[in-house]
Amino acid sequence: MGKISRRLRLAFAVSSVIFVAVLAISPVKDLRREWKYYKNGYERFARNRPDKRLLSDFHPGLDQIWIPEMNVVDRCTTCHQGITQPSLADSSVPQPFRAHPPIHHSATDWGCVVCHRGQGPATEVAEAHETTLAWEQPLLPNRLIQGSCGTCHRADLAETPKLTRGRQLLAKLNCVGCHRLQDVDRPAMLAPDLTNIGTKVSRAWIYKWLKEPRTVTDSNGTVTVNGYETGDEPRMPQIHLKEEELRALSGYLSSLRSHPVAPYRFDPRAIALEKAPDLTAQGEVRFRQMFCSTCHSLAVTRAGETKLIGGDIGPELTKVGSKVNRDWLVSWLRNPQEYLPHSTMPRYEWSDQDLFKVAAYITTKLVDSDLLNGVPNLGEATPDEITSGRNLFLAKGCASCHIVGGAAPQKDFGPDLTALGGKNVSQLEFGQSKIPRTLIAYIQTKLTDPVSVNPAARMPQYHWSPDDLEAVTIALISMAGTPSASGMERLKIPRASPEFHPAGAFGEVYERYQCSACHKFNGYGGDLAPDLSYEGSRAQRAWLVDFLKNPQTLRPMLVLRMPQFNVTDKEAAILADYMTMTLQSPLANTAGEGHMRFTPQLAAMGKQLYEVKYQCQACHTIGGAGGYVGPNLSNAGNWLTATWVQAWLKNPQALVPGTIEPRRSFTADEIQALTAYLMTLRPSGKKASAGASQGGTR
Amino acid sequence: MSRRLLLAVFLVCLVAAAPACRKQPAPAPDALVSAYDVEPDWNDPQKVVALNYRQAQGKRLFYTNCVWCHADATPAGPSNRSNVTPTPPLINDGNVLNGESEEYLRNVISLGGSAVGKSAMMPPYGRTLRPEEIQSLIAYMRAIAQPLYQQSARPGKPYTGR
Repeated sequence: MGKISRRLRLAFAVSSVIFVAVLAISPVKDLRREWKYYKNGYERFARNRPDKRLLSDFHPGLDQIWIPEMNVVDRCTTCHQGITQPSLADSSVPQPFRAHPPIHHSATDWGCVVCHRGQGPATEVAEAHETTLAWEQPLLPNRLIQGSCGTCHRADLAETPKLTRGRQLLAKLNCVGCHRLQDVDRPAMLAPDLTNIGTKVSRAWIYKWLKEPRTVTDSNGTVTVNGYETGDEPRMPQIHLKEEELRALSGYLSSLRSHPVAPYRFDPRAIALEKAPDLTAQGEVRFRQMFCSTCHSLAVTRAGETKLIGGDIGPELTKVGSKVNRDWLVSWLRNPQEYLPHSTMPRYEWSDQDLFKVAAYITTKLVDSDLLNGVPNLGEATPDEITSGRNLFLAKGCASCHIVGGAAPQKDFGPDLTALGGKNVSQLEFGQSKIPRTLIAYIQTKLTDPVSVNPAARMPQYHWSPDDLEAVTIALISMAGTPSASGMERLKIPRASPEFHPAGAFGEVYERYQCSACHKFNGYGGDLAPDLSYEGSRAQRAWLVDFLKNPQTLRPMLVLRMPQFNVTDKEAAILADYMTMTLQSPLANTAGEGHMRFTPQLAAMGKQLYEVKYQCQACHTIGGAGGYVGPNLSNAGNWLTATWVQAWLKNPQALVPGTIEPRRSFTADEIQALTAYLMTLRPSGKKASAGASQGGTR
Repeated sequence: MSRRLLLAVFLVCLVAAAPACRKQPAPAPDALVSAYDVEPDWNDPQKVVALNYRQAQGKRLFYTNCVWCHADATPAGPSNRSNVTPTPPLINDGNVLNGESEEYLRNVISLGGSAVGKSAMMPPYGRTLRPEEIQSLIAYMRAIAQPLYQQSARPGKPYTGR
């Protein structure tokens, strides 16, 4: 009895101890939670820092940023405790205690997951940062975080160059042809209109182009277009086609000739040039003088290295003579909009001689006799080939980007991507692919090799440089769909879509020369050339007329410059009048221009300031000496208005936001003196027309 | 008796082993993976320098405002460096710039060269760039300095409690 009771007591004692131990597991575990380890560590760390605020701000429990209207419940600051402490900004401070670098949004107002993603309410390192079974949103890698800015900021920001680049690529590569994308509108023309392509190029050329719009040379990613290396992705992607598909499509496209090109009847004096031995050389000179290279590039070999030189607004022209036929070329040069109504190519004012010379240069010099090597003898297209080519044109999605009269594109050919960036991993179709199960791996694999994720994918093959792949990924991540909280919807900063389509005589000339392809007007237009929104405040009328008739480079550093359009006197007057009357800045109203008088003493003082005190010659050239960064000021007296110079010296960024001329602290007297000096700058030999341009015309 | 001893030893071991349950902190992420942006090493294009947010902002500002005179290659092609006398230092030239204090660099950028007794060809940017932008520029130049700037060579290790 006693023995049994003793054993029983022992068993009871042991089980009690085990029971207490089991009971204790929970509080002990709670005591040792991962976040407490960081809490205690931070307290010890803060005690050794000179900044006393760290300890007085310390709070031993869980920290949380709660913003109900944005669905933010972020406990990140439980471990990242120094986020708002300026004294912890230094990179020697160990993570997770380091301060957040200064940005425009404070963490306490916005929370953390709005930008960084991850799981706000989680209190363990793995659950907060990575994908686990229960939590689907991993932290966004820092190099892609600009995508989060784009979720609300639909307008471009200076601080997010990668996001801007990605959006530009999505627009440039015509992704909206097949996909629906946030804030990328379908332009009037995506890819060239092919309604009359048969009048422009041969069937053999179409075959070659469809087969190989580019050639990928080697494993190091060097890309060549038509045999020449380029950093740019050609807009036409590679569509993998079988031999019979190539035959059918090229046959169908070459049969598209609804408006035959009538050969242009040149003036007999121009045709007489045919016999001139230097006809093509003269054509090349005109080609260069007209600055076609501002928009079109040519492959140039210098010192054994072949490089594309020129702009990328229009297509590369190195071998265009082997591509287009001559009658088409002449008709195109005379009036591009007749063939392609949405083309941004200006309608030049040609003399017959110039047109003849330049066409001869293009068709005899910009050629490659090997271009069509390897193309089988195709002959005329058969009716069968035309029918099956037309079906392929629709089935392969060609009609999504290219217009052909009568061929309507399939609606929503590719998936809707407006909410791709907000998708959870469980919503993505990975198929059999062996890639990490993350949104980023999914997007990047889809972009680089569409069929590896889905063997039936109809998306053509694009070839991305690592930087471009990252930029496009960022732009796609930013398209996170409708925000989960209504408060976020109100925070969106919409994308501005300015338009500038003036009417009247100016409007006609403006459309003819496609000014907005390169220049901006009130936020609308290209960014290759200066913003002209305030050109009337900046430039004198007489100078504008001269410049339009004979453009020169103002910035010595720039290779590209304004093409010579051969504008007529009347057109130059229309453009200059409109600009001086209408394109005026409220900060530089030239109404008082005629009354300004500057003494030679003032100008002499300005020269001193320019050359000695401020040493403007570091960036600006006068005569033969000076820097390349700012515009050449040798002709400033004939070019700029005194009103503009004064306003500019006071605050350049107020007139042209983002200009790199630094804002100085000139006194009012110094501004007067510098203006006086600049207004005396005129190249010797060129008679000043100051009286007429400053007083008379305004 | 020996059983009781065994049990006691077992319990003591259990308690002693408990601290092992403490979670080890997450491993330090790779610098290039967690970087906000990267910049190729100016002297060796094969190498890349990881930039944090602040340094990346400095990089953007550098390539807008400063690159024209403080680099030999610019986005527009030719550099203006040879037109400026005395020749301005390359921004990654650690031999010249590592020795300068933060305060000096702040002053020369915001007040211009003449304010610190250097060439007036360096204009003041204090009214064009905000103070935190100037700070970012300094962070960027420290990050890409060759030879390495001593502080950028030792970024803080993640907290491990040891």
